[in-house]
Amino acid sequence: MATYDFVFSSLGLDDWCSAGKSDGPMSMADLLSKANGGKQEDTSIWDLPFPSMDALNEACPAFPQSRELTKGLEQGFLDIKDSLSVVLDPITQPLSWALDGTLYAMLSAPWWIVIPLLLAVVLVVSKSWKLVTFVAISFFTLAFIDYYEYAMQTLAIIFVCAFICVLLGVPIGIAMSRSDTLQRMTIPILDMLQTLPPFVYLIPLIFLFSVTESKLYGIAIILYAIVPVIRLTNLGIRLVDKDVIEAADAFGMTPRQKLFKVQIPLALPNIMAGVNQTIMMSLAMVVIASLVSAPGLGVLVLRGIRNLELGVGLVSGLGIVALAVILDRVTKASLARINAAQKQ
Amino acid sequence: MANDIKISIKNLYKIFGPTPDVGLEYVKRGMDKNDLLEKQNHVLGLKDINVDMREGEITVIMGLSGSGKSTLIRHLNRLIEPTAGEIRFDGEDVLDYGEEDLRKLRRERMSMVFQKFALLPHRTVLENAGMAMDVRGFKTADFESEARKWLARVGLEGNENQYPHQLSGGMQQRVGIARALVSNAPVMLMDEAFSALDPLIRSDMQDLLLELQEELQKTIVFITHDLDEALKLADHLVILKDGEVVQQGDPQDILLNPNDPYIVDFISDINRARVLRTRSVMTEGVDDSLQFAGDVSDQDNLETVLSRSGGDTSLTFRVMRENEPVGTLDMKALTRALVPTEASSEREKRSA
Repeated sequence: MATYDFVFSSLGLDDWCSAGKSDGPMSMADLLSKANGGKQEDTSIWDLPFPSMDALNEACPAFPQSRELTKGLEQGFLDIKDSLSVVLDPITQPLSWALDGTLYAMLSAPWWIVIPLLLAVVLVVSKSWKLVTFVAISFFTLAFIDYYEYAMQTLAIIFVCAFICVLLGVPIGIAMSRSDTLQRMTIPILDMLQTLPPFVYLIPLIFLFSVTESKLYGIAIILYAIVPVIRLTNLGIRLVDKDVIEAADAFGMTPRQKLFKVQIPLALPNIMAGVNQTIMMSLAMVVIASLVSAPGLGVLVLRGIRNLELGVGLVSGLGIVALAVILDRVTKASLARINAAQKQ
Repeated sequence: MANDIKISIKNLYKIFGPTPDVGLEYVKRGMDKNDLLEKQNHVLGLKDINVDMREGEITVIMGLSGSGKSTLIRHLNRLIEPTAGEIRFDGEDVLDYGEEDLRKLRRERMSMVFQKFALLPHRTVLENAGMAMDVRGFKTADFESEARKWLARVGLEGNENQYPHQLSGGMQQRVGIARALVSNAPVMLMDEAFSALDPLIRSDMQDLLLELQEELQKTIVFITHDLDEALKLADHLVILKDGEVVQQGDPQDILLNPNDPYIVDFISDINRARVLRTRSVMTEGVDDSLQFAGDVSDQDNLETVLSRSGGDTSLTFRVMRENEPVGTLDMKALTRALVPTEASSEREKRSA
């Protein structure tokens, strides 16, 4: 007899319960009670179990156990997986191409082209020779200790993923800023994406895509990193001075003119802050994504953990820090230039 | 005074709240603002507004904050939609306009100047001035000379390539005015345009506006909470209180014949000698047998006459309009006019 027998008997479900009775494997607790001669111990109120699925199952074998819930979820996912792949595979295929193409381009081009090119980009974006010097020293150091290839792989992945995040995130943010309903619907999803432990993304993705495809880690990084750019685009556009918007209306701007001539330019500092965050979060995720075959410095970190190679782990960790500092400073420098151009 | 009516507002109501139509019924049955807020949870914005604005005149709408003046001006270009009523612009009902017509109205027939300037911070002064043309699809090169001309006219020559944040408040508002002028719209809406400026600059800007108006003869609707400003600028003065028109008409007339204690309160502190003009206190007709101490223009204010008389109240002046004698000004009448008048309602009460 179990604690919650009365629930089922009072509902008249005894038949249904006994119909589900089976001589399946016993739990350890059952075995123990059997060994004790099947004597019911008097349970005091202190030992009252919570009416959980398992406790109810004890009273009525037809009632599902909790492990059947997780199992059912898994089964359900496996059932829809194939049809889901049919839809998702072609849509996400360009991501694989972009990642593979960029990785190939950055690695096959000789270092004496890639490094000056990157430095030129830094100079154009930040207009700061100090920063260019810092970036040059970082790259040459990484290359000198033979981490050049790994660092470039990591950078290539971040470039592609951050670019796609901006490409998708900014329009989503704009749409959110225009509709309160959409904002209400999207914010819980964004909250979930941001708080879900990053490892959790990887599990369903492994089921959906093959580990050999680069879009697997691409999607994981994008899902994780797209949130800030969406949030800050939405926020930035909503924060645009109401008076300026009113002036735009009073002079007869169409919604499109208002968006491109007023809202986006005035929201640009916030959007750029979002881009900065997105890049930093892609960097964080690219390390974790090395678990699912993302190349780059993350692989070395993983090697450090798996083989307890302290030196490799530390040096690659420091390499990631160097990349993080570079990406952060360069985007912040361009942000500062935008801010200076339009302070009120 | 015989100018055509440019904009005519008829029986305009605005009620803010979830069900304005219901609120409107209550207001039409006589519920007042406080009851409407307490019992129906609706805010009465405007109640039965009837104003005619004439072409080429400055119509000033004055009231304290919360009187609905900013709400009223935003109805003219439908930044705010009315609950009931009519707004006629050149005889057409603006409320019938679809999106395209409305945009055309805002682009070509009305321009607006804002209290907080509302310039685009990422555009230069020149680009800001040409905003109306830019909206219509012109390139900067097309409107540059026009924008430069008006910027120079408002005193901003040489600032064309600066950004708004590099200018002082007064200069930013000059850009705001230039922006309205470049649009070349016949109607200019000015929403507390000078309220954010300090007094000296404000006075400068008022002079600038009057100067421009002399030259351009636009139809200007000006919102203010400052009575001195209202009296200085207004051809037609509308006084709002709690969303209702308390009195409207010639500002001189309102000053001499206030019809509500609220207006009396309002006008009790102003310098009447500076605001009142001889035409308002003279008696019509000239008796040539009288000895005149001199000629004054009918547009002179009483202060000028007082200083000419040297304080002698026995004198009489002849009032001239465009070199024609039109009236007689007795110094005693002038002195009487300097004493604030009671509201007509109060006077009636006393005589009854």
